[in-house]
Amino acid sequence: MDLQLALIFLQQGIASGLVSGSVYALLALAIVIIFKTSEVPNFAQGEVFMAAGYIALYLFVFQQMPIWVVLPATLVAAFLAMALFRRIVLDQVAKSAKDLVYLVIATLGLSYVLKGLVRRTGFGDTPRSFPALVPTDSVMIGQASVTVLDLTILGTALAVMAAFFWMFNYTKIGRAMRAVGMNPKAAQLVGVDLGRCHMLIWGLSGVISAIAALLISPKILMTADMGSIVMLAFAAAIVGGFSSLPGAVVGGFVIGIVENLVGLFISSRAIVLAPFLAILLVLVIRPQGLFGGKLTIKKV
Amino acid sequence: MTTTTATPAAARRAISPQALAALAAAALVLVALPVFTSGYVIYIANLLLVFVVLCLGLHIVIGETGQFSMAHAAFYGIGIYASALANRAVDLPYPVAMLFGALVAGAVGLFIGALALRMRDIYLALATFAFGEAMQWVFANWDSVTNGPNGLRISPARFGPLEILSDKQAYPFVVFFCLLMIGVTIAISRSRLGRSFRAVRESEVAAMAMGIDIKRTRVIAFGLSAAIAGFAGGMFGLFQTFIHPDSLGFQTTILVLTMVVVGGLGSIAGAVGGAIVFGLISEVLRQAPQYQEIIYGGILILFMMYAPRGLFAFIGDRIREARHGRR
Repeated sequence: MDLQLALIFLQQGIASGLVSGSVYALLALAIVIIFKTSEVPNFAQGEVFMAAGYIALYLFVFQQMPIWVVLPATLVAAFLAMALFRRIVLDQVAKSAKDLVYLVIATLGLSYVLKGLVRRTGFGDTPRSFPALVPTDSVMIGQASVTVLDLTILGTALAVMAAFFWMFNYTKIGRAMRAVGMNPKAAQLVGVDLGRCHMLIWGLSGVISAIAALLISPKILMTADMGSIVMLAFAAAIVGGFSSLPGAVVGGFVIGIVENLVGLFISSRAIVLAPFLAILLVLVIRPQGLFGGKLTIKKV
Repeated sequence: MTTTTATPAAARRAISPQALAALAAAALVLVALPVFTSGYVIYIANLLLVFVVLCLGLHIVIGETGQFSMAHAAFYGIGIYASALANRAVDLPYPVAMLFGALVAGAVGLFIGALALRMRDIYLALATFAFGEAMQWVFANWDSVTNGPNGLRISPARFGPLEILSDKQAYPFVVFFCLLMIGVTIAISRSRLGRSFRAVRESEVAAMAMGIDIKRTRVIAFGLSAAIAGFAGGMFGLFQTFIHPDSLGFQTTILVLTMVVVGGLGSIAGAVGGAIVFGLISEVLRQAPQYQEIIYGGILILFMMYAPRGLFAFIGDRIREARHGRR
């Protein structure tokens, strides 16, 4: 490989990595906001993302609904599903068992139920693709070729993240969420409604996953197993330290770029191992992640 | 942090008449099976006993230590491949190959655990999840060793001059090794080590104050759990002639986890009972594969909501309520 080609590969890898990374970043964000407030790694996040993609596909392609109905309907469905799961299932689990392990197992259960439901509908039998809503003409940036769709994905993802950060940092509800993340009991004492706050967080996390699904669906083949990309989002969250929102975003882009460079320079078969190796590297070099704060020990 | 489990005190209590009757019935069934049934039932019995051992391994790490491991299928697979390859390579009695499988799986487990446990326990769940996925990829792609996506033929297990060629021949050995592992798990659970496992689960701060090295305890629990899963892999090789990477994915980990949950997290009897009860249920579910995922997931959710202590504790509580009225 001569230098010229390596440079082209590098630019292409970074450009494509920013696009797929933006989706990982969104999913990682969805995972981290839940983890910050509930201390639960939500293993159903990938299936929520997958199910949202299928809801959109069903409404748009099978029911021929106009897109301005499909998009909000999908987001609302994702919000309600996650908020209700938190309210109906997890609150009951938390009541009957005090240990976190039980909550984690319940999210695993949800991931299986969602996967099973989508398989039952029969949409998952053949890989489908969501029609692209924006043109897929190529644009050259430097020596990398990207499509208008790619730029739309990246732009939308960044806009969603910005809106979310604004909400989290500058609104009253965002402050309440951060308070719950720091100390739920104290937050409750100063008047935060814990149950509502948890529902909102889970619902928002569902919305973010749905946005990620809507963005990426035109680019990938949809199957009932497409939720497995959540592994990369978990890797992104770990790289970012698992409790930092900017960390999750940076981690998403890092994982996206690493994945694309591995695919271009080494082999596409090795891509599967990229998230695992990234997780291991971070754990060995900097266990608290790039943006993780100081380690604290949990008191009884 | 309160988890209801069989406390050591309860474990030392005299065995209740019900439990004794259940044990006697189980022994009777185990002995009578090969006499009265056909090959397929024996095959299922063998498989269930292997899953009992897998559940014991997961019990050590989740039930006793409260650590969340999601790579159980990977360690099981390492055990299967390692014992099968060792069995093929050297002409030694099969238990040696089984021990080799357990040792390799245990060593890999120690390594992964030592890396992942440098951090909060959530990292163990994530790292093992990633490791499980990566390991399945290795099984499917390391052609020169595992024969990749074509699957690997397992040569018959040998005990000196005796070659095991049928499920029925393998059955007594499978029963023996399963009982052995139940004994080993009970011994570990009642030892000083087992007590330190539970201390770590109940309260890390208190455990530290008692002078328990938490990180070391967790890593040991994780390594032990992996070794037991690897041993189960060796048992699998007793009666199976073929292994395919597809059956070593996250699905299998979830199956084992569901068994432990149905039986009741934290009790050895629960892990064993859960493996058998849910193993039989999933055998019935084979008739309706399209509902399998929904049912597994639904069972996990419902148990977490209403019966976190498992099926047996749930039934026991209902019986007690019926007898004494609600209190």
